[in-house]
Amino acid sequence: MNAATTTPIQSDVLLPERLGDLTGLNEFGLAGELLSTLIGAVIVGSLILTMTAVAGPWAKRKITASFTDRISINQIGPAGIGIIIADAVRMLSKENIIPENADRPAYDLAPIVIVGSALLGFAVIPMGSGIQLADPEVGLAFAFAVAGIASIGLVMAGYASGNKYSLLGGLRAVAQNVAYEIPLVVTGMSVVLFAGSLQMGAIVDAQNTQTLVDLGVVSIPAWYALVNPFAFVLFLIANFAEVGRNPFDMPEAPAELVAGYQTEYSSVYFVLVYLGEFLHIFLGGAIISTIFLGGPAGPGPAALGIVWFTLKIWGVFFLTQWLRSAVPRVRIDQLIEIGWKGLLVLSFANLGLTAAIVGVIA
Amino acid sequence: MCVRFKLPNVTEMNDWIAIGALALVGVLIPLSMMAVSALLRPSVPETSKRATYESGEVPTGGTRVRFNIQYYMVALLFLIFDIETVLLFPWAVVYLDAIESDAVSLLDILGPMVLFVAILLAGLAWAWRNGAVQWAQTPRQVDTERNRP
Repeated sequence: MNAATTTPIQSDVLLPERLGDLTGLNEFGLAGELLSTLIGAVIVGSLILTMTAVAGPWAKRKITASFTDRISINQIGPAGIGIIIADAVRMLSKENIIPENADRPAYDLAPIVIVGSALLGFAVIPMGSGIQLADPEVGLAFAFAVAGIASIGLVMAGYASGNKYSLLGGLRAVAQNVAYEIPLVVTGMSVVLFAGSLQMGAIVDAQNTQTLVDLGVVSIPAWYALVNPFAFVLFLIANFAEVGRNPFDMPEAPAELVAGYQTEYSSVYFVLVYLGEFLHIFLGGAIISTIFLGGPAGPGPAALGIVWFTLKIWGVFFLTQWLRSAVPRVRIDQLIEIGWKGLLVLSFANLGLTAAIVGVIA
Repeated sequence: MCVRFKLPNVTEMNDWIAIGALALVGVLIPLSMMAVSALLRPSVPETSKRATYESGEVPTGGTRVRFNIQYYMVALLFLIFDIETVLLFPWAVVYLDAIESDAVSLLDILGPMVLFVAILLAGLAWAWRNGAVQWAQTPRQVDTERNRP
């Protein structure tokens, strides 16, 4: 790998500080700083929610319809995009039926935990064009840790619903999350070996300041998906299991468990659980884009960062929907064995090999 | 060598304030959705509506059913390996710098961690041999498997 050839696209100024400068809030001391930080958080939250709103009611249906050669939604607005508003009103105005055996506080808290944990992970993601809320030194570990909180939400939802299918669905979801969390983190660690830092900004910089191959006209940056494709594939598989998408969508296998942990949730609670799942897909996509696909890097000026980043996240989302249409589901016993006997061993092999190669090259 | 890290600055603390702000937003969004829904939705209480859902049948038996021992085994294994990843992270962060500094040999950096991982993998192999990562089957399932031609 050659030395630095391009300028880092990662700006040193984070979103809250930049907002403070733009609005002049920085002059009001601590209160102004807090306010600009809060505005930044609202911007990041809305950005992610908008993406999820487009993905859930609209893009998912359109993609599945294309794969199965059907027409799907096309009545409200251009290409049926108005279904997002119609669906939001429809779902929110449904009667909220609380099952009689529900364990009340936990039953109500579970959707909040699932949504909140996924949203919080986006705090450390550099989304390009200067949209990054925070860049702590433990960035990557923080993202993994926060995404892991969702497991608690799933257990709460499954246990508190007072339904045996919910309980079994929740347990399966957690067994699955737990089995694939280790390969996910260990594979992520092989990236840290290259970058030498857990800081998201530093990982993005390391990928884009080094060049893998210089072809004269274009130079291919050392994105870790190209440097270590084996780790990239491992991470993708573990991530699909982690967010419970095909072929690992066992927790809500409708043929066996009604709808898993979300069986007893209706109205706004159902919306939240569903939203949480999509947020987790996007958080997984954001982590993949950041540590393997060069984050917001792409051709053109650095201001286009958010466009490239959105494209990369949506690429991962499209892949999940593709697999949903193309790949059959694995059984629960196969799922546990693939995780513990296959991916775990492979991820440690990857870590050892990467460490050896980095050691020999450096 | 320190180019890889950004220099610590005054905004260091602001990182966690910003993360706290997003946590607040992350709780406020679901709460506000619940509030909007509470204003919009009807409430027609009826006892049969609230019955536990079992595909339209009358619910039978209790909710706290017995479930596979496997979940417990897997959770135990997870605890061990999760703690291991926590111990691996600091090593992964300093790895590149330690090699480039030339102060210690590659064997000294890589060796202890390989030994550490090897001990844990030996544990996994033992658990594997004893069927801890194999989905537990009921005696009837085992019989069916055995009698399969």
